[in-house]
Amino acid sequence: MKGMLVVLQNDVRDILHSNGFLLVAVIMGIITVGTAVGLPIALNWWLAKGVAWEEAKPLLELFMGLAVNYVPLIVLFTCMATWATEPIAKEKGKGPIESLLATPLTARAVWIGKSLSIFLTAYIIGLIATLIVILAMNLASILPATGHFVLPLPEAFTSFLFLPSLMFALILSGVLFSLITNPSIGQTIIITVGVLLLQVVGQVGGRFLWLLPSWDYALYNLAGAALLGMIAFYLSRTLTKERIILSSKGRWA
Amino acid sequence: MSDAIRLEGISKQLGKREILRDVSFTVKQGDVFGYLGPNGAGKTTTIRILLGLLKLTSGKATILGEDVSRDEARRTVGFVLESDGLYDNKTAEENLWYFARIYGMAEPAESIDRILNLVELRDRAKDKVGTYSKGMRQRLALARAMTHNPELLVLDEPTAGVDPSGQIEVREVILNMAYKEGRTIFLSSHNLDEVQRICNRIALIDRGEIKLYGELEQLQREMSGNEVEVETTEAIAEPLFAELKSLSHLGLRERKDKVLTFVPQEGVRTPDIVSLLVGRGVAIEEVSKKEASLEEIYSAILKEVEPS
Repeated sequence: MKGMLVVLQNDVRDILHSNGFLLVAVIMGIITVGTAVGLPIALNWWLAKGVAWEEAKPLLELFMGLAVNYVPLIVLFTCMATWATEPIAKEKGKGPIESLLATPLTARAVWIGKSLSIFLTAYIIGLIATLIVILAMNLASILPATGHFVLPLPEAFTSFLFLPSLMFALILSGVLFSLITNPSIGQTIIITVGVLLLQVVGQVGGRFLWLLPSWDYALYNLAGAALLGMIAFYLSRTLTKERIILSSKGRWA
Repeated sequence: MSDAIRLEGISKQLGKREILRDVSFTVKQGDVFGYLGPNGAGKTTTIRILLGLLKLTSGKATILGEDVSRDEARRTVGFVLESDGLYDNKTAEENLWYFARIYGMAEPAESIDRILNLVELRDRAKDKVGTYSKGMRQRLALARAMTHNPELLVLDEPTAGVDPSGQIEVREVILNMAYKEGRTIFLSSHNLDEVQRICNRIALIDRGEIKLYGELEQLQREMSGNEVEVETTEAIAEPLFAELKSLSHLGLRERKDKVLTFVPQEGVRTPDIVSLLVGRGVAIEEVSKKEASLEEIYSAILKEVEPS
């Protein structure tokens, strides 16, 4: 546990000092500001028509649902794609991973420490971005026009807990494959599953909009996270120092 | 006191290839142990097994009395691997801090400072390792190996790729660690001269099998064939040479100017030869027992095992 925390702390520090972090922060800043400014303008235009609260509420919840699902998803996905595999590829290629594993650290501590460092950094960025969008939508348009603060509980759980859990499970799988095989395989897994998730949210947003503020949708995310997490932990039985070393020497055990 | 390293009939197979076959040796605490062998002989595989990076196919391996498969067994082991394994994007200090914390050191600052002084990198401590020369990197890798004050150091080719002056610097650090700080050292190297200077015991591996193992001095004596060289003040006369040659137990092999080379039979001691010569009126300048160099031993053993 202690060793895992040391890896986590070190890797978070490395991420924060990397050029990739700067790039992600700038892109996310642009997306967040664009969303936080654009959505309230659209809402203000619509709410200015004098829509009754009862009529507006379901639509505002759907609107909010789209925002709080897309923003963390995009943030987490971008962060994962940037950090989950390339640093591991470098560590495997240049040798630090071998030195790390020759210490008393367990392979599992390295795996979870690295996954958590990516997840926590991405989660905090996602959390900040989502909170900015939620507050901007509510404070700049919904609250002044209706006197209500809109954030249905299922959406809050999905956005802040279940969807990030799903992403964490995906990061665990991606990092696991990056460690025990070629890191490009880990990257392929993350990008493929990540794009699929974006598609699913897109489809839900387009065709089953009513699902977004529901507990059903929240629980789908939770179930997805649990399933992917279980798969990752089941596959982690194959995680050994020998596999990591051999894969870094071009032998995929 | 348990052995620092104990390998009992270990084997390692990767796919269909047998990398190590029935390898056994012991490294005692306080030893500076040289592990020699040509490329692909199995040296790095042995080291990876010792450091828990590869699993054994069969046999038993312990390090400081604990099974190598236990991660905790390496808490008091330092290492330098084939690649230095340093983080280029971190400074020397940051590299050492990271590993010190992995080993559970709460306050490593003092130890890090001392070690950086020892490897003479104090002035460059705040520079990124990516800017270091190969020799500096190897010294830093040695520093990292020592930060947590380990009992045993496992070094895989620590001077490989380092220029001659860098090699001397690295060798000095190793000698300090061994003889001033009293650590047990397991040194894998191609550099026979380096091993001969530093190590007291050696093992020679070739094609996954141990071909030679023991005290270096004893091996040198054994491999030298008990050769004795006697230098006289004047070249001896032909009749005396013929007489000495006829005494087969002396084993007079050759005469080169004023130097006589004997390979005496078992039971014949050097003083016996000396007193016999003195008795014949020969004035002796110097007597020396010739020892085989490590290079000669290495070549002889590898020649023996070469397939015909």
